[in-house]
Amino acid sequence: MRRHKRWPLRPLASALARSRFCSSAAAAGAFPLKHVTRSNFEMTLNDLRSHVKAADFVAIDLEMTGVTSAPWRDSLEFDRYDVRYLKVKDSAEKFAVVQFGVCPFRWDSRTQSFVSHPHNFFVFPRQELTFDPPAHEFLCQTTSMDFLAKYQFDFNACIHEGISYLSRRQEEEASKRYDEESVDSVVETEDLKLVRLADLLFSERMKKRFNEWRSALLHGSSESPGISSGSTESAETVFYHMRPALSLQGFTSHQLRVIKLVLRKHFGDLVYIHTNDKSSCSKDFVVYTDSESDKENLMKEAKDERKRVAERKIQSAIGFRQVIDLLSSEKKLIVGHNCFLDIAHVYSKFVGPLPSTAEKFVASIHDHFPYIVDTKILLNVNPMLHQRMKKSSTSLSSAFSLLCPQIELSSRSSDSILQQRVKIDVEVDNVRCSNWNAGGKHEAGYDAFMTGCIFAQACSHLGFDFKHHSESENLAQNEKLDKYINRLYLSWTRGDIIDLRTSNSNAENWRVSNSKYENIVLIWNFPQKLKAREIKECICKALGSTSVTSVYHLDNTAVFVLFKNSELVSNFLKLKQQLESDDGPVRILHPLSKILKGGNTGAADYDAYKEICSSHISKILFADQAETVGVKSRTRPNPKGETSLETERRENMVAVTDKASDLIDAFLANRVDVKVARTN
Amino acid sequence: MQRRFLSSVSVSAGGSKTLNNGRWSVKQVKKSNFKSTLDEIRTSIDSSDFVALSLQNTGSYAAAWHRISAIDTPQMSYLKAKYAAERYQILQFALCPFSLRGSKLTVHPYNFHLFPRDELKLGMPSYSFSCQASRLTAMAREGFDFNACIYEGISYLSREQESASKFLSGNPILAEPVAAPSSPSTVADTVFVGRIRSRVKNWRQSCLDSSSKTGDDDLVSSLRKLVLGSEQYGSRLCLTIDVCSERQVQLILEMLTEFADDVVPLLIASKSGGTQAVRAVFMSSKEDMDRFKRELQDLENEENRRLRGFREVVDLISSSQKPVVSQNYLSDFTSIHAKFLGPLPSNVDDFSSSLSSAFPNVVDLSQFMKEISPLSNISNLPAAMSSLNRFFAPVDVEVANQGCPIKLDESHQMHGQNAVMISQLFAKLSTIQKSDYQSSVQPSEDSYALASDQHASDENVQVWSKNSRRVSSENLVFIWGLAKKMTASTLKNVLQKSHNVFAQEFDVKLLDRSCAVVVFWQPSSSETFLSAVNNEDQLLGGSLRVMVAEGLRAAGYETYKRACRLGFWEADLADSLDKTLESSDTDLDSDTKPSEISWTSELAINFDEL
Repeated sequence: MRRHKRWPLRPLASALARSRFCSSAAAAGAFPLKHVTRSNFEMTLNDLRSHVKAADFVAIDLEMTGVTSAPWRDSLEFDRYDVRYLKVKDSAEKFAVVQFGVCPFRWDSRTQSFVSHPHNFFVFPRQELTFDPPAHEFLCQTTSMDFLAKYQFDFNACIHEGISYLSRRQEEEASKRYDEESVDSVVETEDLKLVRLADLLFSERMKKRFNEWRSALLHGSSESPGISSGSTESAETVFYHMRPALSLQGFTSHQLRVIKLVLRKHFGDLVYIHTNDKSSCSKDFVVYTDSESDKENLMKEAKDERKRVAERKIQSAIGFRQVIDLLSSEKKLIVGHNCFLDIAHVYSKFVGPLPSTAEKFVASIHDHFPYIVDTKILLNVNPMLHQRMKKSSTSLSSAFSLLCPQIELSSRSSDSILQQRVKIDVEVDNVRCSNWNAGGKHEAGYDAFMTGCIFAQACSHLGFDFKHHSESENLAQNEKLDKYINRLYLSWTRGDIIDLRTSNSNAENWRVSNSKYENIVLIWNFPQKLKAREIKECICKALGSTSVTSVYHLDNTAVFVLFKNSELVSNFLKLKQQLESDDGPVRILHPLSKILKGGNTGAADYDAYKEICSSHISKILFADQAETVGVKSRTRPNPKGETSLETERRENMVAVTDKASDLIDAFLANRVDVKVARTN
Repeated sequence: MQRRFLSSVSVSAGGSKTLNNGRWSVKQVKKSNFKSTLDEIRTSIDSSDFVALSLQNTGSYAAAWHRISAIDTPQMSYLKAKYAAERYQILQFALCPFSLRGSKLTVHPYNFHLFPRDELKLGMPSYSFSCQASRLTAMAREGFDFNACIYEGISYLSREQESASKFLSGNPILAEPVAAPSSPSTVADTVFVGRIRSRVKNWRQSCLDSSSKTGDDDLVSSLRKLVLGSEQYGSRLCLTIDVCSERQVQLILEMLTEFADDVVPLLIASKSGGTQAVRAVFMSSKEDMDRFKRELQDLENEENRRLRGFREVVDLISSSQKPVVSQNYLSDFTSIHAKFLGPLPSNVDDFSSSLSSAFPNVVDLSQFMKEISPLSNISNLPAAMSSLNRFFAPVDVEVANQGCPIKLDESHQMHGQNAVMISQLFAKLSTIQKSDYQSSVQPSEDSYALASDQHASDENVQVWSKNSRRVSSENLVFIWGLAKKMTASTLKNVLQKSHNVFAQEFDVKLLDRSCAVVVFWQPSSSETFLSAVNNEDQLLGGSLRVMVAEGLRAAGYETYKRACRLGFWEADLADSLDKTLESSDTDLDSDTKPSEISWTSELAINFDEL
């Protein structure tokens, strides 16, 4: 089946480079990529199994519907590692994965080259199960959608034909629910009372019909014992599990309930059976049983069948997760590029809800993916590779063109430098190909392929000799890679690296950062148009000219103020409260009044920032977010955002400021632990 | 290609709803043909008496209890609709201006494909939006073309966004004339103004010089420009004065009024929203100044028009003052308000007044339908249509859009049929209602009345069904935390045995899988029950005590109201109510008075069967 997108103005070049649903490399020059939708998923999965089993490593890449649910949810200068984790968590929970690239790489000693099998899966969180799970909703960031559209992402293929999935947690819940349902169906009818005249008439009619049918069965009447009337409802005689049965059709669910009641009351040997077959089309039968034990057997058979059908349904709803389970069970080395967000998505979509802290996440991810390597880490942390990158950007495409020019240009020239590069072939549907035009950027399958190529090339620069590489040797356990495996960039801009190998605290900062979080105050809802410099001036006037180290905008409505020490933080917060409760002239003349003007200005310490980030609400402006979260969670009464002059409340607030400083102490103590962990 | 794709989908979906496929030719409007179609739309609206519209959104409600139900007061219904309107995105806006003469219905159907494009990278028209997976799947089944929508959808800005973006688009704007000197100036101000004044004076002098004598050396003139900081703005000379506060802007503008004869001040905005600089432009003559101002105005209009995008159409409907007919007043107009007018206000009265300033005449078709045929369900248009067949009300539809015959290879032509159906249904209903009207149905006072009274601010919900009973919201109690899943009738049985307050008549309805509402028909029973559940000491034993021990909780209607007001839109109502009880927030609510709602026993049963 060959389908093309309807985008008539698509530039010719990219039209050549990408051919949709082109299952072989037949189209001249196009990069061979296996596109997988639900129509060819089962078939492809079988092939993929063997490719993954044989692979030395598997590269992955994801395309999502968005990255940040609000501008301030982006990675910022003053994000501590735990805050950063919360931001990644928020992103993975809110946005959907629409494309999943999987590309297994295997060293072929015969041709002295790597063989890669790039797969491009279209994924869509379609609801395959009929019961009512929490409504599947996801967020789309308009700029990300525009970005996908720019690279001609096929939204129709994704939504019409994307492969659905269930996470492990969802699977458990689904089977639990089916169990509950089967119990329910037994109890259900007890409390139905026949009150309406129509019901009474109907039940009498049915009673008569069943009687006729039963006696016709027993006395071997030659007349066809089916029941049918002029209306839409009909019942014909069939066999159900080797027993004579009436198949009921066209009855409403209420009528069926009445039938059930009639059967229980008046017919000891007729049993009502409700089945669901594969196509989720339900059928109802009235089955004749010749003894009490036969009846029990029948009930058991019917129950088993229901269970089997339910299990089959759940099994098929698991869908794309089978690929994830495959990668996980094979314990292959997973290669990604700047892939912490990708891994978080994989966890939240295919394992279960993301843990609340980075530590718990680290402890849990190891069970599913024991070996992950991030090519971005490799290129930045290894001095030799870093130098080779010649200070150019380590973005996926630029790293690819720098490290693997022979693949990008697909040149098989005799150039001696290019000869030294690792040879990589592409195999799709058993057609091997080593010649294609570059293209398909931001197609998850192609991005995964690029990532794998970078990794292979980087390994060769690190001194791997694939030629003498034995089949049994596991790449993931190689000591040359040891330093880089299971380390991911938590925040690339800040250089925070998370170490997945240890389960204790693990924020490592390879580029030393001097931000002292306990010295930070967050201010929001100050008068608009007030610039960072003016805020700094105001505070310096109030607390001393050297009190503020720097002021940094979160967005237009909020700033971080970095004080020289934590004492100044509590001084500032106390001063703010005093001024707010003061009605006198001091309030107007005080240098801080410029910031407090309007009466809505809020201020809080760094822990409040973390709390605000952990909320699942996402307002576009930070000030709105702070107000919404602040109003709603009174579990930790806060000294911020309140302008009320009630005395009790004020006392309350002062007490809280002290509490905040306790928290800082606690944090400091915690920090010591972190340091110890690092030195170990 | 596309057709094959779509048809294969509808086949695989097993006979999808292709009821109206190609029944009427609806003009499909996308980015490419939007500009050229605008005039046609304007004529269509002007020549019609009514405008029917129908929206295709990316979702409707996130959880069962977010749906508007019988127990909601207008304010609650509004809050629910507001929550949905703010989250979901409109992907298609079907518009059908129509007029009715006798039995002849003349329609001009259009279907607009919309997609929010953040062209200024400022999070406008929207930073992000939510999608309901099941809704998108259903749309796909009907053959929706998502590529066309996302690649070629028309963007827009709301009225408020447009005025906010004025500063941000980067184009210089004409400064508003200064009314009066603002505040007493300080020494620093005086020094600043003096400095700038002399700079402007010098520059202006040089402008005057250069315009008088032309024999100046190129080198000299460029040197002079360099020294004076003079630049070119288009063909005119200008001077850019950097500022670092709005106060300085004010001062400079005040000072520049001295030169108002031949200098026009422009404001240059910075990315963060403030003013970055003031640009003084030198005018060679009075005519030149008029021309310059006109040019600037045209530029601004053009830019605004581009940013406004689809909202132009909404403005056309609004300014035409034609009655607007929609299938679902609340959900359609909260969406329209949120996307094209401005942020939704927090209460329903403000919403009604804000909306009526833009759309004074709105006809809610479902309300109209209930008047004629109380038992019909409006949510399925073809079914609603056929339910009216028992009335003799022939309506001939004539499509008056010119030049857009159905092309066989464009199967997406079928989108936007709903708006035509709505106009048809409206025509039928009007014919039935006004069968005494002989010739024509003009927008009359009657149809206005329909529009205005449906959201009257009193807390009464109209009763349409014979089976419904009015009940004060005080008599409703929400219960959750049941040990196991139950149907409404089992729950009723269990409750009956649990406490003597249930000896009297009461009703139970499940709101979602986590929570049920109990209706007491005796005024004080609800209080008795609530205090029984909330004070364990008073419980004399019995099964209610066991239930409370197992986690049963109960709360009055006020808690439910507060949950909606505070925006605790959890997936399970039980979680929302728990959170509401936890939050100590008790800020005063304007509508604390008990409200009446209609309790339909039919509804209660229907709900169980779902």
